[in-house]
Order: sequence, then C-alpha cells, then structure tokens
Amino acid sequence: MTWRSRMAENFDFSLLAAVAAVMACGYINLRSSSAATGFPFAWKQLQWYVVGSVAMGLCFLYDYRKLVSMALPLYLVTLGLLVLVLFFGKTVGGSQRWLSIGVANIQPSEFAKLVMIVVLSTYFYRDDLDSYRLRDLFRPFLLTLVPALLVYVQPDLGTCVIILAILAALIYAAGLQWKSFLILIGLFIAGLPVGWSLLKPYQKARILTFLDPERDPYGVGYHVLQSKIAVGSGGLFGKGYMAGSQAHLQFLPEVHTDFAFSIWAEEWGFAGALFLVFLYGWIIYRGLLIASRAKDRFGAFLAFGVMALFFLHVVINICMVLGLLPVVGVPLPLFSYGGSSVLTTMMGLGLVLNVGARRYFFTEN
Amino acid sequence: MRLKPFDDQQLEANRSRCLKILVVPLLCFAALVARLFYLQVVKGDEFVRKAEHNRIRVLRLEPPRGKILDRDGRILAGVAPSFSISLIRKDVPDFEALIQELVKLLEEDESKIRARLYKGRSLPLYRPVVVARDVDWTTVARVEARRWKLPGIVVEVSPKREYPHGTVAPHLLGYLGEINKKELASGRYPGARPGDLVGKFGAEKEYGRYLRGKTGRRILEVDATGRLVRVLREIPPVSGDDLFLTLELPLQKAAEEAMEGKVGAIVALEPSTGRVLASVSTPGFDPEAFVRGLSTQEWKALNDPITHPMTNRAIQGQYPPGSVFKIVTAAAALEEGIVTANTQFYCNGHFRLGRSSFRCWDWRGHGYTNLYKALVESCDVYFYNVGLKLGPDVIAKYGFGFGLGRPTGIPLSNEQDGLLATVKWKRQVMHDKWHDGETLAVAIGQGFTLVTPMQAAQLIASVANGGTIYRPNYVEEIMGPDGKVIEEWRAEAVGRLPVSEGHLRMIKKALVGVVEDSKGTGKRARIEGMTVAGKTGTAQVVKQEKRRQDEKMAWKHKDHAWFVAYAPAEAPEIAVAVLIEHGGHGGSAAAPVARKVLEAWREAHLPKPVTPVIHSAFMMYGGGQP
Repeated sequence: MTWRSRMAENFDFSLLAAVAAVMACGYINLRSSSAATGFPFAWKQLQWYVVGSVAMGLCFLYDYRKLVSMALPLYLVTLGLLVLVLFFGKTVGGSQRWLSIGVANIQPSEFAKLVMIVVLSTYFYRDDLDSYRLRDLFRPFLLTLVPALLVYVQPDLGTCVIILAILAALIYAAGLQWKSFLILIGLFIAGLPVGWSLLKPYQKARILTFLDPERDPYGVGYHVLQSKIAVGSGGLFGKGYMAGSQAHLQFLPEVHTDFAFSIWAEEWGFAGALFLVFLYGWIIYRGLLIASRAKDRFGAFLAFGVMALFFLHVVINICMVLGLLPVVGVPLPLFSYGGSSVLTTMMGLGLVLNVGARRYFFTEN
Repeated sequence: MRLKPFDDQQLEANRSRCLKILVVPLLCFAALVARLFYLQVVKGDEFVRKAEHNRIRVLRLEPPRGKILDRDGRILAGVAPSFSISLIRKDVPDFEALIQELVKLLEEDESKIRARLYKGRSLPLYRPVVVARDVDWTTVARVEARRWKLPGIVVEVSPKREYPHGTVAPHLLGYLGEINKKELASGRYPGARPGDLVGKFGAEKEYGRYLRGKTGRRILEVDATGRLVRVLREIPPVSGDDLFLTLELPLQKAAEEAMEGKVGAIVALEPSTGRVLASVSTPGFDPEAFVRGLSTQEWKALNDPITHPMTNRAIQGQYPPGSVFKIVTAAAALEEGIVTANTQFYCNGHFRLGRSSFRCWDWRGHGYTNLYKALVESCDVYFYNVGLKLGPDVIAKYGFGFGLGRPTGIPLSNEQDGLLATVKWKRQVMHDKWHDGETLAVAIGQGFTLVTPMQAAQLIASVANGGTIYRPNYVEEIMGPDGKVIEEWRAEAVGRLPVSEGHLRMIKKALVGVVEDSKGTGKRARIEGMTVAGKTGTAQVVKQEKRRQDEKMAWKHKDHAWFVAYAPAEAPEIAVAVLIEHGGHGGSAAAPVARKVLEAWREAHLPKPVTPVIHSAFMMYGGGQP
C-alpha cells in the first residue's frame, strides 16, 4: 500500500466537511451583513476562503514532522514581525496590529498564535518528560512571554491572553503534577489584582459593564445589549435571511466581525445557532480524536494546540455575543470576516488533518 | 524525517488526556446551547417585543459633498440642499393605496414610481427607498401636510450639486449618478446603498473618496406611530474635502467659447509644472441631467454616434498628429546627425519614391529648404527626405521620447495610449511588412501615428519649458472641511526630451517663425504684444490622392486641424493644443482658436501692451493674408 493511499485512508473527511459547512454558513451570513452595511465583506471573504483553502492544502501536504526543525526560524521571524508592527504597523482603532504588504494588511499577532503552537510543541517534544513540575515550566513560559508581551503592548489584550492560554493547554497535554497545578491556580488568583491594575480604562469599563450591563446602555453596554436582543428576538426559527432588524437597522455594530454570530442567530433562530454550534463541536471532537490517536508527541501536541486555539476562539466569541463574557475582540473562526483569522485557522486545521492522515507512517517502518 | 514515536505508556497517557479534556468543550457547548435556548426560546418573545419596541430609527445624515473650485477659489461645482421623498417599506400597511396617493402628490407617472420602488427591492425592508429625488418646496410641503395619510413616507434632505457658473469643463469635473450594482460590489464605495449618488466620471469619480465625506447617523427613539420621542445619539456627518483644480475659470470659459459649434478639444498646460489650465472637449453635456434622470431624447443626444458628447476628446480622442509631429522628426534628424541647421533639401512640390509620387502640401514646392524653413512652412518633402534616412523605428523611438504612444498619466480613467508604429508593431498587429511609403507618412505625422490632444499639449509644453516632461495634473489642492490641506500640488517630472539644449533652441526658434514669419503656417495665431510659438498640423482623414481642401467636401471627409502653441515665447507660461475634428487646415481652423485662448490668458495675466501703435503696424505686415 502506497503512502498516498494510506494518507487518503486516514483522512478525516467529516472534519473537512464540517469546516466547509461553517464556511458556507459564514459566507451566507456575510451576504446579509454586506447588505446591512454596504461593504462587500462577503465577496472579499470568499477570496480569503480561496486563499485559505490553498494554504490549508499546503499545510496538509507538507510533512508536519519537518516543522520540528522549522520551529526556531519561525519563532524568530514572528518575533521580528511583532517588533516591526510596533514601529511600522497601521493603527486601527487605537491599536497597532496591521502590517501593510501591498495588496493586503496582515496581522502578525494572528500568525503568532499558530507559530507558538509549533514552537511549544517542538519544545515539549524535545523536552519529553512524562510529567511536569513548576520548575520545568520556566523555559516554555519564557518562550511564550516574549511574544505575549509584544502583543500586549500593541495593545491587543485578547490575543495576549490567548497566547498564554495556548501555553496552558499544552502544559495540560504534557501532564502537570497536581501540586504544581494547585500552586499555579493560587498564583493566578493572587495575580488578579495586579492584572486589573495593568488594564487600560476602556478594558476595565468593558469588564464592569459585563458585570452590570445596564450600567451604560448606550455606551459600552450597547453592543452586548443589542446583541442579546438580536439573538433573543431570533426565537426558535429566526426572522429569516436578510431580515434581521437588529443588524439591518444598524443597531448592531461589527455585524461582520466579532458579532457575526448574533446576526446569524437573529436571522436563523435557535435552530440555526444550534446547527452552527454543533458544527463547531464536531470539528473540535474530530480534532481532539486526531490528537489522541497521534503516534508521536510532536504531532499530538500540534493537533491538540490547534484544537485548543480553535475551541477558545469559538467559546470566547459566542460567550461574548451571548453576554456571558466581556467584549474582547476575538473573531469566530471561519465565520467572522477577516483574512488573517481565516488564513491562520485554515492553516491550523490543515496541520491537524496532516497529523491525522500521517499517523500510520510510524508503524510502516 | 522521522520523529521519535510514543512508547506504549506514553501513547496511552496521551490518548487519555486528549479524551478526558473533551469534557471541557462538552460542558462549554452545553452551556452555550442552554444560554441560546434561554435567550431565544424561553425569553424569545420578550426579546422580540424588545426588538419591536426598539423603535429606534437610524437616520443617515448625508454629508455635503466637497466643492470643486478653480485655482482661484471660484466654485465650479458647489452644493445645495435637496429634498427627496423616500419610503420605508416595513411601515407601509397598504402599498397600492400609498402608490395612488403618491401619484396624486408627486404628479408623476405610476410606472415611474413603481420602477423606483422596484430598484430598491433588494434592500432590507427597513431601508428607505427613494421615490422622488430633488423635489421642490411645494411638494415637500404637500407631503408633510399629508404625513398622517402616508405611513412609511419620509422626507430626506441630502446635498446636491449646483453649478454657479453653468456647465464648465464637464468632462473634467465629471458628474454624479446613482450607484450601480457593479460599483456597489466593487468595495470602492464603503457604506453606500442603492440609490446613492456617486461620482461617475472625471474628478467626481477619481477623487470621489475625498469629495464624498463621511455619513453621519442620528439614532432616534420613536413611538409606535413613528413620532420622535427623543434623540439618543447623533454622529454628525463630516463634509467632503474641497477639490481645488488647476483650471482658471476665465481661461476655461474663453476656450469653451472658442470651441462653440466645433467638435474637438483644447488642452492648455502650464509648461513649467504640467498644471492643466484649461481642458475642453466639445460637444459637452449637462452634468445635472444625470442626477435628474435623462429623457430618451437627452439619452439619444448623449450617445450620438458621430459627436459622442460623453467622450473626453482631450484624453480619449486619438488623431494623426499631422505636421505637429514634425517637431519630433526634426529633433530626431538633428540628434541622429542626419541634418544640421544648414542642410538643405530641394522641394519641387512632390517626392518620388519608386514608382509613386508623394506630394508636399503646397504643390508649388518650397525650393531649397533647411530645417528652419521646413518647420515654418511645414514642408513635407524636407521631412520625407529626413524620414527615409531615419527609418520608422528611430522616428518611433523619438516619438516615445516626446511622451507619445503612452498615456500621459493624468489622473483620469480611460486615457488612450495613442500609437507610434514600428516595424515590429506592423508585423505583429497588421501581419504585414513595413513599406517605405509608410515611413514617409509617419515622418510627417500621418499614417498609423495617433496622438491625443493631451499628449500633444504635453509635448509642446515640454518643448516650451526646455525639455522636461511633466505629468499633466488638474488638482491644485485638496482641502479638508477644517481648512487643513490634505494634498498639495506637486509637479511630477516623468522624463526629459531626448534632445540637446542647442537643438531644442533651434526648433523653438523655428516654432516662433511658424507664427511670426510672413510665410509661417500659423500666423493666424499671432497676438498683439506677445510672441507666440507654435506648430500647425493637418491630419488626413482620407487618402492623399483624393484630398481636396474645398468647401464642397463632406464634413466627415475633411481633415482634422491641429495647432499646438506656447507663449510668451521667451518665457513660456502657457502651452496649448487645439484639435478641431474635420476643421480643415491647422493654420486656418485651429490656429485662430488657439489665439483666442492665448489672448484670454494674456488678458488675465499680462499688463496691456504699452505701445499699441507699433504693434498694430506689425499686424498689418503679415496679418492680411488668409
């Protein structure tokens, strides 16, 4: 049996189908947002989907095991880009996140998430301990802290937290000793007041508004309140495509990016929302299954890391839209408008499929 | 590459960790679904009421479009408020009754109103659809008075264009029209919705993103009957930026008047910078007609197959340059060392090449002719001789050097390239080999060669300023609504003429002779008190054998008349190219038009001549001949 047919045999078609379905929903949904705002989001997103699919294909075909030797250069390039963006980045909405490369603007922090998964997976693969104590974690922590801080000063708190969360997820996969776990929790709680003091006033305002949404119904709380009304008024079967009054009357800001899910829920109702949540659940389930079946530590961590990243995005975004978390700028993967997000998500999923399809390469030899 | 695989124990540990963690997404998703169920199903009705009760209306506040002004701040295209009657379909209980009511109110055809509504059918139900644009005050008053009978009808105020000086340079200013589907999808008009007016042509289009401004929003709370309860938030609109053009209104008007009744184009440039001082293309059109909506008759007139009023001939009209091109041939001959100032060729009125004979425009011949005389009297035979020695490719090379054969780069859409034919071009495009006869034609600017009036103006401006080619531009300054300058004039040199200073001086001397000498072909451009330099051109429309320049000839067979000029010849401040389609001779048809433009410029910029007596005597000396 050739390696090609082996790969085909182990290819997770249901995962790919779910991904395609989410993208189809995302496109349909963006058509509605486009109509509501007059911007051609849907058309541009379609282009990104095509670019993303190509990138996904390449990430799938490239033997993921070679990435172990690529980790260091990738890490350095990413740090370089993150420094570059601080000096030459385009400032949008008060934070400097975008690098302009002629045809498009790229967001290096988006790619940093993916690169950190590769870097940390390589680290844990090389380190190869059966379980970890606090003192073993110093170096991976340092590795993570540098890009996290660079992202933090942009400022992009959401991405910073997510990069740290990737580390946490991979530490779990590496196996943390109970004692160390409890100490970490303790440290985390003790660090909360410090963290609060590091927040910018608008970030604090968002958290306070989250805790008490009626505090400022036309200011910071406006988004969440209108989003909740949008989702809630969707009812069981929704108001119908292109008929979401909340979005089309422009009560809802950011209907194409962070609040894309709320227009979906408004127009397609509980049924539509449930369908989408199911698709995301399926992707995560299949992805973790791939991680669990991987035959080498690097592959397992790679798949686990990507799925953790994916999961975090999905949950944080939907929670935000449903008023369960404060408003942080986290897009819904494959669904929100945004080139860098689509691209990195699809590349990540390409790697997961890669790990899944190549798992019998080890038994062959 | 091979990685170290898991051993059995690690394999199992990894498997169990990955599967155990599934509990986390499972719980999270369960929580999400529960929350969704709570919001949408349990509390659904309540939120539906809230959304309905969200009787918040978002009104768009249209920003005034930026003004378009001339160099001295005279308003060419301003803004005035305009009222339109729109309809919010969601609020209409009985469509048919409303349409009947509207027919009575607006005194318009039912079909027209229906067509308008049909156009907006793809809009969400909540968006106002324009039913009647730019209605007068009495109609607004009538509608307002019957508001209670017209649920769903709103009166919107939006700024519209007004032209205090009448239609000026319509091709350059451009016009506004309703955005079409393609434009909506292109992404160049963020926030636009069907029915919006956008720049369709000229500066209105090219600088639309500056002129547009930012739409504001007023968020209102209204009660169930649609009456205002309170204003929740208002984001005021930001007016568009003002566009100061390099045009000079008096000059532009004079140029337009000089072209009245003629078909053609005028471009006047400032030689030292490339500023467009005037740009005319006739026939023109009325930019307001597009906003009003065109009648069938107007539409037909605008698409006239002969005059094409919508074509900006200054950049889109391509014509053989005729003898204007002799400037290029002369430069090539001097630079390539084929002639010096004293080299003479004998002209007896025709030139023999093989078995055919090529005529000079003057059948009597020019006798012994040097470069100066050849340019002043526009002797064809001299340039036949020179051209044959140069060959088509060298001629074309110099043509490119003079900025021909490619767009000048003026920021306007659809500028044409013109054409410079080479041997290779003919082989590739016409699948034929080059003939010597064609070299002769090309040497005097006939045959394949094509030039736009803008290119001709750029060419003569480059000659005037001593050899620097500037990109023509018509925007002097872009000024934000706060008075801050956003973009400033910047002359952009794009090349140098491939001519040495001495040779250029010789050519320029001859160009003065064209106008000022008694035998000069361009003497009709002579102006009292200012030395003018120029070159005539007569572009053949039909083959040379059939050429007869008389009154009986059909208009469409008459030659195109060219005149390019600059003045004052000593220190040029204006360069102008005039093209008159089927005008006949350059000297008799185009030169007088150029004179009018130059006179208008002198009127505005130079003091009146102090010694009129001497100058009128000077006029008598050469002015009598036709």
